[in-house]
Amino acid sequence: MSEEVHDTHHGNYVKIWAILVVLLAVSVVGPMFEIRVVTLVTAFGVAIVKAYLVIKHFMHINHTPRFIPYLVVTCLVFMLLFFAAVAPDVMNDTGSGWEKPAWVAEEKAWAAGGGSAGDQHPQP
Amino acid sequence: MTEAAVPALHDEQHHEQSFGQKYLWSTDHKMIAMQYLFTGMLMALVGGFMAYAFRMQLAFPGMDVPFYGIVSASEYNALVTNHGTIMIFWVAMPVLLAAFGNFLIPLMIGCDDMVFPKVNRLSYQIFLLSAVVILGSLFVEGGGFAGAWTAYPPLSAKAEYSQTPLGSSLWLVAVALEFVAFLLGGINFITTTMNSRAPGMKFYDIPMVVWMIVIASVLFLVSVGPLIAGAMMLFMDQNVGTAFYDPDRGGDPILWQHLFWFFGHPEVYVVMLPAVGITADVICVFARKKLFAYKTVLYTAFGTGVLSFTVWAHHQFIAGIDPRMAHIFTVTTLLISIPIAEMIFVYIATLYGGSIRLTTPMLWALAFIAEFLIGGVTGIFLGASGADIYLHDTYFVLAHFHYMFYPIAIIGTFAGIAHWFPKMFGRMMNETLGKIHFWLTVIPFNVIFIPLFILGLAGQHRRIYDYTNFPELAIQPLQDLRVLATVALLVMLGAQLIFLYNFFSSMFKGKKAGKNPWNATTLEWTTESPPPHGNWAELPTVYRGPYEYGNPDREDDYWPQNEPV
Repeated sequence: MSEEVHDTHHGNYVKIWAILVVLLAVSVVGPMFEIRVVTLVTAFGVAIVKAYLVIKHFMHINHTPRFIPYLVVTCLVFMLLFFAAVAPDVMNDTGSGWEKPAWVAEEKAWAAGGGSAGDQHPQP
Repeated sequence: MTEAAVPALHDEQHHEQSFGQKYLWSTDHKMIAMQYLFTGMLMALVGGFMAYAFRMQLAFPGMDVPFYGIVSASEYNALVTNHGTIMIFWVAMPVLLAAFGNFLIPLMIGCDDMVFPKVNRLSYQIFLLSAVVILGSLFVEGGGFAGAWTAYPPLSAKAEYSQTPLGSSLWLVAVALEFVAFLLGGINFITTTMNSRAPGMKFYDIPMVVWMIVIASVLFLVSVGPLIAGAMMLFMDQNVGTAFYDPDRGGDPILWQHLFWFFGHPEVYVVMLPAVGITADVICVFARKKLFAYKTVLYTAFGTGVLSFTVWAHHQFIAGIDPRMAHIFTVTTLLISIPIAEMIFVYIATLYGGSIRLTTPMLWALAFIAEFLIGGVTGIFLGASGADIYLHDTYFVLAHFHYMFYPIAIIGTFAGIAHWFPKMFGRMMNETLGKIHFWLTVIPFNVIFIPLFILGLAGQHRRIYDYTNFPELAIQPLQDLRVLATVALLVMLGAQLIFLYNFFSSMFKGKKAGKNPWNATTLEWTTESPPPHGNWAELPTVYRGPYEYGNPDREDDYWPQNEPV
């Protein structure tokens, strides 16, 4: 690896760090508006972007042999696959003869109401 | 980098080593391999003894079992749980993956040691600790964990159900430690194979057994995360009062089953692939023929690895999973039989027209193909959700499982030991004793498990301590089959004494082996037997693929990888 390229990396580190700080600020401020969609995007959306930046630049995934990004993407695919197959079992709460604890209904009601009343979030 | 890079320095150090340096802190891959092998063999004796105790109870309920005593109901549960756990995690994995991986990878790819020798040492130390913990858990108050090797909650999560409060937690700790050991080992296997191959050794020149161990290590790395997370949650459910798997408090026990089997099914392939690789190498040497369709086998193994992540819920068809999912998992499960069948066909094609020598390792390799085929075919019934509704949790499942794992962990291992023993210890094993041991192991194996298929089809449920409590299962014909299976087990266990005698007497008194007693082509046969510290005085260069047998242009029927044209 040439010296020139090496230097460029250093420049990137600070730049990426600055972007991450800005994104952190966004993810802190976003949920303060207490609007469901904004909360989701600023919490999870920003988290995904931050994870991508860290993996790509700080973990040097863009400079590793090509099979390593493939392996990382494969793991992500497996994770989504796992979630897709497990979700119907563990996230489903309807069915004949099913009884869920009372707090589940309260939580659903809270979610349906837009989730704006933060202090009324029922505790399990 | 390691000190191991300078052979001259090695020899000097080699002579000065104290007991601690040689055995406790050695970073030599061969020493670590031997430690894994002997620990695995010792644990196999423990696991085998457990099988002996609970099979005696099933055949002769309430009997005072010789060398054990009366098996109580809770002891029975602990015995079956720990038999399963030990045989998979402390026998199959350390021997097939760690012992053969450590011994063969540097020798077969032509380097002096693993790329991370100290990590390798740490891997074994942690593994040894895990073995001590699992053995210790058998002697704590309440006895060893008794919630079955799959540890399904709520049985495993609540001490009032499993009755083994300490044993349950120690079991989890031991399994977690064992996983750490194999993660460290796996990283070494993959990195060494990718980075330390002899000059000239391209990807398609790597012997199949090395490829298989590497693919198995990748599968293990990718699959183990969910189970470690799940095990941590289970540990907290047991000890801290969380409710991840407790439906009363909003948890879900099926989540554990998903987490366990997302690891558990690829784990089958983690132990299977090294055995498949050993078989490939052995049949090429003793059929004196090139491996038929090397690339096909390799790509098939990759394909099997990927597919193995899509089949896990076939273990849960009747656990209350979404029925739509059951359809999908039936299809993926039946799909995975295609690459496995392909491998079997490739092996048969390799044998076809070969100049077959029925040595002991070859007998084991042939037995692997035959017995594994039965395991695979019976799996198709269980993979179909409709048939599984009846067969689930019967002895049919148990017999199918053992027809998979026995060929892998026992027959495959014996093939490997018989084949590489001359390289490991510099002496030949006794062929006659080897063949007697072979027949007295393989025949009783079938006599044990074919009756269990029949019992399973007759509806005999697993995990029952005493069938006399169930009138419809206590009938004489069924009991006769249980006795038959148990007597066959006694014969098979007794035959292992022949192996132990042959192993240890050959180690010291066997005929000297020389460098290459089987006239094989791969690199490990080009160095001394046993190989010195650093493996070669001068590291080899590779000129061709690993299976160059029967070349018509040459006088010898084999062409070593390191021999220039």
